[in-house]
Amino acid sequence: MPRAQLIDQFSEAAINVGAEVISVDSISAAADYIFAKIEGSLLVPSFSSGARFKLKSALKKAGVSTEVDNFRAVAEAAEGGITGVNFAIADTGTLVLESTAEDIRLATTLPPKQFALLDPGKIVADGMEAVKPLRQMHQRDSRNYIAYVTGPSRTADIERVLTIGVHGPKELFILLVPGLSDDFLEM
Amino acid sequence: MNKQRSKDYRQRVDQALATPKLQDALHQFGDAFLISREKAFAGHDFEALRGNISAMKTEVRENHDELLQQFIDNAKAAGTIIYQAKTAADANRYITDLAKKKGAKLAVKSKSMVSEETHLSAALEKAGIQALETDLGEWIVQLAGQRPSHMVMPAIHMFKEEIADLFSKETGQQEPAEIEHLVEVARNQLRQSYLDADIGITGANIAVAETGGIALITNEGNARLASTMPKVHVALVGIEKLVPTLEDAARIIQVLPKNATGQLLTSYVTWIRGAVPCAGEDKEFHIVLLDNGRSALAESPQCRDALNCIRCGACANVCPVYQSVGGHVFGHVYIGAIGIILTAFYHGLDNAAELVKACIGCRSCVAVCPSNIDLEEIILHLREKVGDDEGIGAGKALVFRKVMQNRKLFHTMIKAASFLQKPVTRGERTIRHLPLFFSPLTEWRTLPAVADRALRDSFSQKSQKIDKPRYRVALFGGCANDFLYPELGLDLIEVMNALDVEVYYPLEQNCCGIPAIYSGEKETAVELAKQNIKAMLADNPDYVLTTCPTCAMALKHNFVEHLKDNPAWAERAEQLSKITIDAASFILNQLAGAELFADLAKSEKITYHDSCHLKRGVGVWQEPRHLIEKSGHELVEMEHADRCCGFGGSYSLTSHPDISKKILQDKVADIQASGATCVAMDCPGCMMQIRGGLEKSDVPIRAQHTIELLAEALRNK
Repeated sequence: MPRAQLIDQFSEAAINVGAEVISVDSISAAADYIFAKIEGSLLVPSFSSGARFKLKSALKKAGVSTEVDNFRAVAEAAEGGITGVNFAIADTGTLVLESTAEDIRLATTLPPKQFALLDPGKIVADGMEAVKPLRQMHQRDSRNYIAYVTGPSRTADIERVLTIGVHGPKELFILLVPGLSDDFLEM
Repeated sequence: MNKQRSKDYRQRVDQALATPKLQDALHQFGDAFLISREKAFAGHDFEALRGNISAMKTEVRENHDELLQQFIDNAKAAGTIIYQAKTAADANRYITDLAKKKGAKLAVKSKSMVSEETHLSAALEKAGIQALETDLGEWIVQLAGQRPSHMVMPAIHMFKEEIADLFSKETGQQEPAEIEHLVEVARNQLRQSYLDADIGITGANIAVAETGGIALITNEGNARLASTMPKVHVALVGIEKLVPTLEDAARIIQVLPKNATGQLLTSYVTWIRGAVPCAGEDKEFHIVLLDNGRSALAESPQCRDALNCIRCGACANVCPVYQSVGGHVFGHVYIGAIGIILTAFYHGLDNAAELVKACIGCRSCVAVCPSNIDLEEIILHLREKVGDDEGIGAGKALVFRKVMQNRKLFHTMIKAASFLQKPVTRGERTIRHLPLFFSPLTEWRTLPAVADRALRDSFSQKSQKIDKPRYRVALFGGCANDFLYPELGLDLIEVMNALDVEVYYPLEQNCCGIPAIYSGEKETAVELAKQNIKAMLADNPDYVLTTCPTCAMALKHNFVEHLKDNPAWAERAEQLSKITIDAASFILNQLAGAELFADLAKSEKITYHDSCHLKRGVGVWQEPRHLIEKSGHELVEMEHADRCCGFGGSYSLTSHPDISKKILQDKVADIQASGATCVAMDCPGCMMQIRGGLEKSDVPIRAQHTIELLAEALRNK
């Protein structure tokens, strides 16, 4: 499938499950967008593409109040968390996050707002195609915690009424940033 | 038979049937589920997908020891501690001991049906450790002191007002009964517990042998927190969750959410392998692999396909019995069709004994099962086992063994009944009221009277003038056509003669044996199969026609299955199976005969009811519709056209008349809403039920067999 079509399919599917998909052209544009979305603090764990593009300083420069360590203590009070994305799955609008590092997990499970930086070049067609990089992750590391994230957390446990945001994030913002990374094994 | 158990069960059925609010909720859920499921599978070939899952799970079962060892080795290599629990008690003891050793006060649980199976929370509480459910539905059910009534939606039986009351008690303030607010209350109430908990307990949807890791398929995000925050993580996993590779896991993930909730994918799929980092150390990660009856299930050739289940819960969603009484009645810990089977193996046959009789046999679960399990077949086998263990009741056994197996005696008794019924029929064809303790049978539907002259006695009187017949076919009438609706058989002769086909009626034919099977009396069914094969093949017919799809299913499938290991009969059973066909399909497919009826009928608005055994038993639903339309009628589809009418043979007469009544009411409402003046069908059993329901509620809509409508059309010529 051509790349543009994959991006369209991914975006449509992600929006259908309640995520917001935003195209930006740089890390600093992403930081400006995030600043407009939160007032409280943002958990910023370390990950390769973030380090390469100096995400932490870009966020600070945009005026975002960031937390960069000691997540177990500060996560509960944070308003958001941000990570990169290893790759995405088009047909279901899914993000794949290699979350073995605990800070990645804390940043994506506890705060009500989840931000994800995705290079739109890293999208596979479906869950079957995702197996190849998934297996490579398992081959590279001996222990894994890998998350497929599709929209914000949800429940229909009361009278079958779909309700967004139960125990996990209530909002998911996917920022498409071209040129961020072409390696499916890095975040 | 255990009388107290039956009595308690009856009471639960009555209670559930007296709760229309629950029924409405489950009906709405069933409808919405089918729509979103269809949307989710758009562009996918469900048959191919479930074929793959079934083949893969069967391969897993055959190589189970090897794959389990591979899983264990890989898990251990990643720092996981493995415990293999033979029984539920073993699993609970291991987890409780671990909790005590850790000095744990609080364990947070995410949803796990296996932990329900072992009653883990009760075991932990007994040891002084609080086990807190964090899945919203599970938490609600825990606060209410109940058990889940659905495997995917544990609190589907509860309403927001009840939940608001439960939550108000927890928070100590009055919580309004608004769903969004209640979800927020749960978030806030449970949040701190993830941080305080010493242990996180989860289940697993999949265990991957290739990696030694598990996958969790969830929506709420609580499993992610329970597996991240506490220093110890215990995953309680049934050994049937094993798959060989990541591709196999991906195939399950592709299907499970679509078939469970109609979602393309759940919010989270979490792949966990080994002791991952936790608060600066390695997490202590235990996987408890539970057998608890699974190996025994694998040893049962008739039942072991049930191990292929991926726990989507769809078999309950579409089940008319579940929709009528809910999962607290139609289930033990596991609910719905698969629940009946798992209960028998995981919680003992005694706990399943009433439930195996509650299945009406409509096969709607089989049609949606993502692992292609023939749930009905397995339930019938278990019914037979209960029948063997407990007896099917002396009266019933007498009827089946002494009467039915002796055709002459059986038929003499039916004919005797036609005289005995005279005082109640008052010369009419239907019985509106029965006296004394029989009266409940006719409170909600009329019953057809046994005909004065059976089809077998009228058949030879009907002249058939065909010079050179294209085919000579034998009619397998079945009891209803023979003794209740003989006119249907005579109509068939007219229709066939018009198509140059000669029909004859082998007099030695007997009941098809399905009623015996449904009552757990296999011995009689096998004997009847032999009698019928002999009778139907005796005169070398070109085809054997049926007007009853249940009989068709018996002749096409059951006889073959009963006799496949009997060299004297197997081939003849196959032969009969090959030439048996329902009348509508025969007209359309073998005779290409639709044209003969073109626009002959006095046009009427007709809606079509799909009989369970015609659509899902022998795969026929388009043929009768085509014939009805071709003959000049206007066909209008009703809602739920292929939902059971509630008949189910003895189900509606003796075993579960109250549930049958409820299902019939739904059907009558759908027929009425269609705006048709006639409802067509291809099953005398459905005719009996639907006609009876329409008549009793004075709905002026007639119920006819497709063959009767075609004969009517011919007479218009």
